Amino acid sequence: MINFTDVGKQYPNGTKALEDINLTIEQGEFVGIIGLSGAGKSTLLRCINRMHDITEGTLIVDDVDVAKLKGKQIRHFRRGIGMIFQSFNLVTRISVLNNVLVSFVPELSFWRKITGVYTKEQKVKALDALDKVGILDKAFVRVDQLSGGQQQRVALARTLAQNPDVILADEPIASLDPVTSRQVMDDFKRINRDMDISVLLNIHHVEVALEFADRIIGIRKGKIVFDGKSKDVNQDTLDEIYGGKVEEFGTDAEEESLHV
Amino acid sequence: MYDKLFPPKKILLSNGKVVHKKRSRAPFITILVAIAIYLSAYYTEFSFYTIFTRIHNFFDIIIAMMPPDWGYINHLWKPLMDTIKMSLIGSLIGAVLVLPLAVLASVNIVPNKSTAAIFKVILSLIRTLPTLVTALIATFIFGLGPIAGSIAILIFTVGYVGKLLYEQIENAEMGSFEAMESIGMTRFQAFRYAIFPQVLPSYLSTSLFCFEGNVRYAAILGFVGAGGIGLLLNQDLGWRNYSGVGMTILALVVTVFIIEQISEYFRRKLI
Repeated sequence: MINFTDVGKQYPNGTKALEDINLTIEQGEFVGIIGLSGAGKSTLLRCINRMHDITEGTLIVDDVDVAKLKGKQIRHFRRGIGMIFQSFNLVTRISVLNNVLVSFVPELSFWRKITGVYTKEQKVKALDALDKVGILDKAFVRVDQLSGGQQQRVALARTLAQNPDVILADEPIASLDPVTSRQVMDDFKRINRDMDISVLLNIHHVEVALEFADRIIGIRKGKIVFDGKSKDVNQDTLDEIYGGKVEEFGTDAEEESLHV
Repeated sequence: MYDKLFPPKKILLSNGKVVHKKRSRAPFITILVAIAIYLSAYYTEFSFYTIFTRIHNFFDIIIAMMPPDWGYINHLWKPLMDTIKMSLIGSLIGAVLVLPLAVLASVNIVPNKSTAAIFKVILSLIRTLPTLVTALIATFIFGLGPIAGSIAILIFTVGYVGKLLYEQIENAEMGSFEAMESIGMTRFQAFRYAIFPQVLPSYLSTSLFCFEGNVRYAAILGFVGAGGIGLLLNQDLGWRNYSGVGMTILALVVTVFIIEQISEYFRRKLI
C-alpha cells in the first residue's frame, strides 16, 4: 500500500513540483497518472522510490516511512520497487541477459560485484523473467539489435527479476508506435493481474490510459485535480486536468505526447 | 563593437523585407595572427637566413648515417626491448591506476562537486609535468635505468588517459545509470554496470593510442639516464658514431611502425 499524506515537494530553486498530495493506492491497483508535461507526474513517481526527496508531509510505502530512510536503507527499499522509463534506459552495448542480470547486482558478493560474474541460479531467474515477457529467444542478442518495443520488454524483464511489489512506469510507451504500445500495455496488464504487482504509470495517451488503467489520477500544476475510476472520466474532467486544452476526446492529448 | 565599426550588410528581399548579414571577422583575425607571428619571430630571433646557410649540416649528418652499420643491430636488441618493456609496463599500470582517478574526477558519478574538481586539478597537474622532467626526477629516486623510465611513462599515461576518460564518463548516457540506481545500486556500482560498459571501448582505444605514443617517448628518456635506446643514441651522437646512430634510428622507426600498425588494427576492431 502506498499512502501520501499532505505531501509537498519544492525544488531548491523554489519551484513547487507537488502540493497537498493525499493519495492511497492499494496493493495490486493499476493506476494511470495523466496531466500536461511538467505538471509533476514524473516527480510524483520518483518520490515513491525516493529518487526524489519530498519536502513536506509523509509518504508511507508498505509500512515504511520513505522520507526517514537513509543510505543503505534507501537502496534496500528500492529493491522492492521496479521502475520503467520512456527511453528504456538499458545498457545497449551488452546482451539482453546481462541487462536483466544487473537487477541481482546488489545481492552479489564483493568480488562478484566487481567482476560481474553471476550465479547459475540468478541466470535461470533472469531467463525466467525474459520468458514472462516473451523474448526468451533474444536472451543472447545485444540490446542495440532490438526494436523499441523489444527493448521496453527487456526493461520490464529487468524489473520483474527484482521481484517487486510495485512497478513505477514513467511514460513507458511515449517512444513506441501504437501497435507496440498496445503490446507493452498488455504486458503491464498481465503482470498486474497475474502477479498482483501494483502498477503506477505516467501516460500521455489518454485513451490508452482509460482503456488499461482501473483508476486515473489527474495532475495539474503539482496538485491532484482528479482521482477516480477510469469509467468516471469525461470531457469535463479532462478539461480540468489539461486546462481546457483538450477539445476532442483523446486526439489532442495524443498530440501533446509528441511535444515531450 | 565590431558590428558598430563595420555595420552589417543589408540584403533587400523582393517583398521589401531586410535581412542583416554580419560582416566576417576573418580579416580582423588574420591581421592579429600575422602580428603574433611577426612578434614571436622577432623575440626568438628566428631567421630564415640561418636556416638557409646552415641546413647543409643537417644533410651532412644524414649522409654520414648512410649506410647504417648493419652489424650494430646486435648491440641494439637489449636497449630496444628495454624501451618497449618500459612503455608497455608503464602504459599498462598507468591505464589501470587511472580508472579510479577518472571516476573520482567525473561530476556525474561523484555526488560531491568539489571532490571531482580536486581530482581534475590533480590530473591536470600530472599532465603539466614534462615526461623528461619526471624521468629525471625518477632517476634520482629509483636510480639510473628502465625503472625510472617506466615510472615516468606511468605518470604521463595517468595524466593523458585520465583526462580523456573522465570526459567520456561525463558524456556517457545517464539513463541506464538512473535505472541502476532505481534497482538499489550505489553510485559506484551503477557506474560499474551502466557507464563502464559504455566507455570501455574508447577507454581501451585511448590506452592503446597512449601506448603507441609512449614507445616514442620511451626512446628519448635514455637522454636523462632513464634506460632504453635513448641512452645509446645519446652516447653515439656524442662519439660521432653516425653510422651506428643511423642503424639505431632505423631500428626504432621499424619498431614504432610495427607497434602502430598492431595498435591501429586493434583500435579499429574496438570501435
